[in-house]
Amino acid sequence: MKFGVHHANHYYGHSHVLARYCGLDDTEPPRLHGYLQHGWNIGDGMAPDHEYVPGVAKFVWSERVRRRAWSLGRRDVYVVGAPWAYLLAMEPEPADASVRRAGTIWYPFHGWEGQHIVGDHDGLIGEIRDTETGPVTVCLYWQEFGDKRVRVRYEKAGFRVICHGYRGGWWKDLDPGFLYRQLAEQRKHSRVASNRLCSAIMYGTLAGCAPAVYGDPMQLEGERSAFGGQGRIVREWADLHGAEVDVEVARGIAVAELGADRLLPPAELRRLFQWPSLRADPDVELTGVLTR
Amino acid sequence: MTTLIGGEMLLWSDTPVSGPALRSLISPSSGCTLVAGTHAPDLLDAVPAASLTVLVRGVPDAEALAATRPGVTVLCGSLEKLTAEPGYDTVVAFGGLDRLLSAEAEPLTWDETLALLLAVLKPGGRLLLGAENLFGLHRLVTLPSAPGDADWVIPDDHDPRRPAGHAGLLERITRAGLRIRRDYAGYPGLSSPTVLLSQEILAESALVGALEAVVATAVEPSVDVLADPVRLATGALRNGLAAELAPAWFIIADRLDASSDAAIPDAVIDSQEVGITELPRGRTLQDHLLAAAQRRDLPVMRDLLTAWQGSPTADVPASQIVVTETGGRAETGGRAGSANGLVEANGLVELIALAPVGTPLTALRAFAATAIAGGFAHLWPIPADEAELTAVLAGMTGRELAPDQVPAADPPAAHAVGDLLADRERLTRELAEANAKHAYYEKMLLHREAELKRVRQMNALLSATVPGKAATSLVGGLRAGKRAVRSVVRRTRGN
Repeated sequence: MKFGVHHANHYYGHSHVLARYCGLDDTEPPRLHGYLQHGWNIGDGMAPDHEYVPGVAKFVWSERVRRRAWSLGRRDVYVVGAPWAYLLAMEPEPADASVRRAGTIWYPFHGWEGQHIVGDHDGLIGEIRDTETGPVTVCLYWQEFGDKRVRVRYEKAGFRVICHGYRGGWWKDLDPGFLYRQLAEQRKHSRVASNRLCSAIMYGTLAGCAPAVYGDPMQLEGERSAFGGQGRIVREWADLHGAEVDVEVARGIAVAELGADRLLPPAELRRLFQWPSLRADPDVELTGVLTR
Repeated sequence: MTTLIGGEMLLWSDTPVSGPALRSLISPSSGCTLVAGTHAPDLLDAVPAASLTVLVRGVPDAEALAATRPGVTVLCGSLEKLTAEPGYDTVVAFGGLDRLLSAEAEPLTWDETLALLLAVLKPGGRLLLGAENLFGLHRLVTLPSAPGDADWVIPDDHDPRRPAGHAGLLERITRAGLRIRRDYAGYPGLSSPTVLLSQEILAESALVGALEAVVATAVEPSVDVLADPVRLATGALRNGLAAELAPAWFIIADRLDASSDAAIPDAVIDSQEVGITELPRGRTLQDHLLAAAQRRDLPVMRDLLTAWQGSPTADVPASQIVVTETGGRAETGGRAGSANGLVEANGLVELIALAPVGTPLTALRAFAATAIAGGFAHLWPIPADEAELTAVLAGMTGRELAPDQVPAADPPAAHAVGDLLADRERLTRELAEANAKHAYYEKMLLHREAELKRVRQMNALLSATVPGKAATSLVGGLRAGKRAVRSVVRRTRGN
């Protein structure tokens, strides 16, 4: 694996998806010159723990994040949309798929490597049971999935327990299939839910699920309330909170937050990422996606 | 025949006022005409020689005129020596009032000089007067220079007796007993205007696009300036300040008892008379693009660029294209390109080209240059380089283009000091960023080297173990086997 400007660009196979969209080899995505937003974010689009080099482009998902990042002093910020939106553009849902959708895919809020959540899984399980009427699939972060105590607790509640894969980091344990697995799972369900508004809810909404955010938001141990924290999320994105939300409104928000209405032409993306050009073979341009 | 009227300058020649644009203002039926000040021959040709009198202050100018125009009455000297008799139906002084008195004369005020001119105008006569705008955009962008030979007295805006500003000029002429028939903003200057825009045409806000396009071409600088006059002039047009900031004014004024006769053009563009209904209505494509850039609305920008580059006007600079709404197009003889991609987005449907064509890439590059000079380069996360930005703009239309495929630009005829300072700021920042990036890569390289070293050490350690040795000999054995098979195959083929 070649190294990118930042290892986080390869999280969840994001650069792999974009490489495919650009008509390049998606098993070995080229170095992406810039930082790519890798999760839905209420701040400047970038992770707080990363080191940023001045003058290196920051590629964010939405215009709202771009405006916020600019106001926070970030420059060289460019809206490209979320890799998820590109994936959906390349993998349109088969026409009869909605018939087969059933139940809810539930994402309990997780911490990242090194973080531990302080919360009551049993209380959450009760709330899920009380709310969901169809079958429930619980999707755990790999860390929790690997923790037998947590996994068994959800399994005992009668839920199907899955994990989409590793996030990866430092070009190790990368998982280019992550988003593909997530999309396949989400398309099996008619609802997507979590105890906190997060990327998975946005993804699921764009992938055709009705979103819901309810239950104990489970604080992280020593969680810092950066950018207003959970309180601000509930205030600003109130329309996405609750066991039942207006699906059309939610879809509009997901489209905006994932930049799905402003996907770039492959040629523009390749120039911005400083990826190789396809001019030697114009037929390679056929990525199966029309952006306009 | 040359008549020396007094005050003539023996060793002096004025730069003639020229420009075919001005010829459109001189009516052939202007009657007995006095042309005061040195004017180019094509302007003099507009009046029949028999009824033409020319007044110049330099003897060489007078001699040249007398030699080439036998029928014309040539007077040489200073204006105040002219017999104050109302003998002319038309008086033309496109060069203004500041070039009519010679170095021999006592300086007179602006009003006094005007009175001298009006004294020779018949009742019912017409005055065609040019005036430099002392607060015109050409003065706002000019670099300081030493006074020239003609500046024995400098006409300046500190003189309270001089009309200040456009409104002041009109008011002073009206007060002198004349009625303004038409007044024009002249570009790029008093001495050789190529574009004349009447108040009536400037008042038509829907024409701003077409007017921006012609003014942008007219004021293109040929010498170094403080700031880009094109940005200033087009900005003045958008803000309704065109007349106030025009480099020069040209006025057609009649005595109060005059009867109006011949038609006077609404505008003169590149020596063509243009009526108010003949220009396309709408804003320029460049204006639409920069507006989208200011809103940071890149999707609209992609639509506009794609529509433009996919239309027959792809090879025309964006500053020379007017985007019209349906039915808004007038017969201009220009090329029109359908821009169907814009219908849904903005309700705009047609692109009308006003200028000669180049190639699509030079047109795109010209817009890239405008975007960089206008301070929009930061919209794209790339170095603010014209070729780089052109390639990204092409990418925004879905076209694959590498910076090295972009044709080189002609070296600029002139630089704007403001832009040079901005360039220096930008390059300083880019250098600092390049250094920071270099430092980061250096750090990354060390990190990778350390990792490589660790892996190699581990490799060496593992090779020394029993399973490692076994694996090595297994691989060695397999290689030997492969070699043996190959040589057998070769030998078999050889037979």
